[in-house]
Amino acid sequence: MFPFNSLSEKSRREFLRLTSAGVFGVSASGWLGTLAHAAGSTTPANPKAKAKACILIWLDGGASHKDMWDLKPESKGAGEFKPIKTTAPGIEISEHLPGYASLMKYGALIRGMSTAEGAHPRAKYNMHTGYREGQGGVVYPSIGSIVAKEVGKTEFPLPNFVSIGNRSFGAGFLGPKYQPLIVTDPARGVEGLSATVGEGQFEKRVNLLQELEASFYHDYQADNINDHKTTYARAVTLMKSKESKAFDLSQESAKTKQAYGTSKFAEGVLMARRLVETGIPFVEVTLGGWDTHQDNFTRVKNLSATLDKAVSALINDLKDRGLLESTLVITMGEFGRTPNINNRGANPGRDHYPRAWSLCMMGGGVKGGYVHGRTDKEGAVVEEGKTNAQDFLATVCTLMGIDYTKENETGTKRPIRIVDKAGKPVKEIIA
Amino acid sequence: MNFYKILAAAVLTTSLGLLVWQSPTIAADKAQAVQKKNKKALDKNTPVVDPKAIELKPQKPENPSNPSPVLEVSKLIDQEINKKLKEAKLIPSPQADDAEFLRRAYLDITGVIPSASKTREFLESKDPNKRAKLIDELIDSKGFGNRLGDIWANLMYPQDSDNRLTPKAPIREWMAKSFNEGKHWDVMTWELITATGEAEKVPEVTYIMANKGVDKLTDSVGKLFLGVQIQCAQCHNHPFTHWKQTEYWGLAQFFYKVDIQAARNANQAANITPGVSELNRPGRSRNNPLPESAKNVPAKLLGAETVKLPPTEPYRPVLATWMTRPDNPFLAKAMVNRLWWQYFGRGLVNPVDDMSDENSPSHPELLAALTKEFVKSGFDVKHMVRCLTNSEAYQRTSKPNESNKDDNELYSHQNIKVLTGEQLYDSLVSITGGDNDRPMAKGLVRGLPNSNRDRFAQFFLGTDNALPTDYEAGIPQALRLMNGPMLSQQRMVTASQRIVGKKTSPSEVVDALYLATLNRHPSDEEMKKVTTFLSKANDTRSAYADILWTLLNTAEFTLNR
Repeated sequence: MFPFNSLSEKSRREFLRLTSAGVFGVSASGWLGTLAHAAGSTTPANPKAKAKACILIWLDGGASHKDMWDLKPESKGAGEFKPIKTTAPGIEISEHLPGYASLMKYGALIRGMSTAEGAHPRAKYNMHTGYREGQGGVVYPSIGSIVAKEVGKTEFPLPNFVSIGNRSFGAGFLGPKYQPLIVTDPARGVEGLSATVGEGQFEKRVNLLQELEASFYHDYQADNINDHKTTYARAVTLMKSKESKAFDLSQESAKTKQAYGTSKFAEGVLMARRLVETGIPFVEVTLGGWDTHQDNFTRVKNLSATLDKAVSALINDLKDRGLLESTLVITMGEFGRTPNINNRGANPGRDHYPRAWSLCMMGGGVKGGYVHGRTDKEGAVVEEGKTNAQDFLATVCTLMGIDYTKENETGTKRPIRIVDKAGKPVKEIIA
Repeated sequence: MNFYKILAAAVLTTSLGLLVWQSPTIAADKAQAVQKKNKKALDKNTPVVDPKAIELKPQKPENPSNPSPVLEVSKLIDQEINKKLKEAKLIPSPQADDAEFLRRAYLDITGVIPSASKTREFLESKDPNKRAKLIDELIDSKGFGNRLGDIWANLMYPQDSDNRLTPKAPIREWMAKSFNEGKHWDVMTWELITATGEAEKVPEVTYIMANKGVDKLTDSVGKLFLGVQIQCAQCHNHPFTHWKQTEYWGLAQFFYKVDIQAARNANQAANITPGVSELNRPGRSRNNPLPESAKNVPAKLLGAETVKLPPTEPYRPVLATWMTRPDNPFLAKAMVNRLWWQYFGRGLVNPVDDMSDENSPSHPELLAALTKEFVKSGFDVKHMVRCLTNSEAYQRTSKPNESNKDDNELYSHQNIKVLTGEQLYDSLVSITGGDNDRPMAKGLVRGLPNSNRDRFAQFFLGTDNALPTDYEAGIPQALRLMNGPMLSQQRMVTASQRIVGKKTSPSEVVDALYLATLNRHPSDEEMKKVTTFLSKANDTRSAYADILWTLLNTAEFTLNR
């Protein structure tokens, strides 16, 4: 357990102040290491974890497992799509995901996902946090914020969690320091990253600011004054840093852009690669439109094309740069879709279905060419390898070397496990 | 057919599992048939009756108001605070100077910094009673309720997907209006807890709507009105305090007949009249599925007796009656602690809403005395604020001295608070002009932030349970302030021109900019630094904008010293 309980309030605040003051050269990992050791904690974290970063490709609306990862051509609600062979012997996926199929030997599927929430907002919350909304009156942090806190570097000039195309879920009780930086339009980069005045003028302003700040802290000595100073220092450092170029897609060649595709989503995926390469440990990229109650097949086909082109380009790119081993790429939505095809309207679709669904993980120490879990012949019931939201998050943590049993504290000093007690990682999926 | 019948019909229809909205008439016909069929099922849902349960007749509070003289109470505050300081051998810091006091009182009481002209006027006034007079003036201004409305709306409206179609503005405006009218806290509490009706006519129902479901409502009422966190006891007996699961679900029983009518998605919005009703029959509303652990728990007043609930009457008035009685052990104490938290930067008990035997106050006698006074005043919030802000403890400088610099809970010097998003927005806009919208939501609009102010405040919103002194902003917030539209070059040029006016002498210009932003005169050192900056500039207009931008980005501007 994180040893906050054993510290007085003053030293706890001091600790937070120091860790947030990384820009002044205090290494957070050093502190954490020392304190964890002092508390004599044992960590079941995976010491062999390979993933240093995670890219979460979020299929917003809930993607149809039966039309992507778990096709059942013999079933009643089989749909129109044909399965194709992949580079992993015995694994077949949709014909509209040829890129994924060519890379399947680097990844694994969980076909045994079975979760509790069937409405969009609650299901998204559940899959991002591992907790159910409202449970015990706490706002839980999303996996991005957890990763930012547990593996993010405080001295790093960029935020440790970036969400592209979506506001995602935030830091909850972990606080605004671990909130995602949101990029709404990848082509435009980060809001407020460049000054509204010329560089020379901005420089003058910042210098004057530094001059005027000094005496206030000297006289009043409150932590929040120092926190303000630190935050501004980090923001200015970010503006000037070479790392902030990671947000600038114009640095990429036309050929690379071509490979990923021209959609906003593709730009987001390309940006994610740039961010991970720079050292950001968690990036979420959203592709919306998967809520296919109507016209499921046309829409899933088109969306699959966008998804497949961008993500297969990403995987190949990471591989070429030697980053695939250390980067976990997850493709998933908030639930699956009904095994049966509904009969509403001229172009039928599939409805929400959390009971049995699939997701895909590649790179980052995942066992290549592996399938976990099995559904019945309709893709309606998980018959083997049932995996819930907690298990999934425990798996992600383990792949990233995070002790998922660790407790963080809420503002009221209530200890909350990163993943609830019921969660167990899917060990078989880890190479 | 009236609104409530429609609601009841809708409830029964949906209890059949038909989640599609039906026309009220069809629904009512079906409902009758269903009612017969489900009679047995409904009986099973009737709350458990405890043979020892007491009866409590609902009664809207009419507590008499006999406040003690303000200065007497302020003196009592100082006696208690000074006693502890002496015990701890701490030398308190002196009283704040007029500038520090003025800015603090404005921000704490009205949520916005004073104007440059008000600042000048106050600093120049020789009236020995000017502080007490200013406090009265601010408490009677509209800003008083606006500030409390902002604070309470954030508390009352958790971020949650179930309330995303419920607008936040109505509850904020209702709270602001009630505080401004001087409505007493017992009456406000009664009205909020028992609120029933259509949201457009009875805006206070949006508090209930924003906390949809018995568990959320129980948590919220516990924290905000009773000052206790019993939410952990939802799932298990609380490991740190004496709250048991039966306490939690006993309190929760009072909310079982609450029925919320709200659109579940944007498409339904046009067909639904949002509001809150209470079933007029035994049973539980469809919003409220029950966990096993809650099924056989009788209604129970927190830490007190079990109560016999009137099967065909609303339950909430029974709870509200108990809450607002002068001898209720929670309500007054919780509000006193919350007000202290607002004005002193931390509660006498922390976390502010976790008051239990295991979590002792820093100043138990003071908390008891103020609670007693609050009840004696008839739960008069304005009176309590006047008492707090007239104390020497409140008016101390936040500048520590050698003896007290490590103290942060005995009030040897004031705490420096961080401006909330609303305070920051209103203060910036008071300087830069434009966009000072507090829109009142009409009808059912989406509850997502819908004004620039809401969006800005949302962006700066801190975590639950953070102290007012906690600086929680991160890089994105700093970037937005430095480079966002609020402090754009154009706005800086226009605003600095307005502040500077016809002044040309560098020292007068710098003085005017300081008075307008930090509400004080610059020190000699600051004057020297800034006039030097000015003297190096080629374009004075642009340099004024630079100085204004800089002052607005200082820690001192973002903080309430």
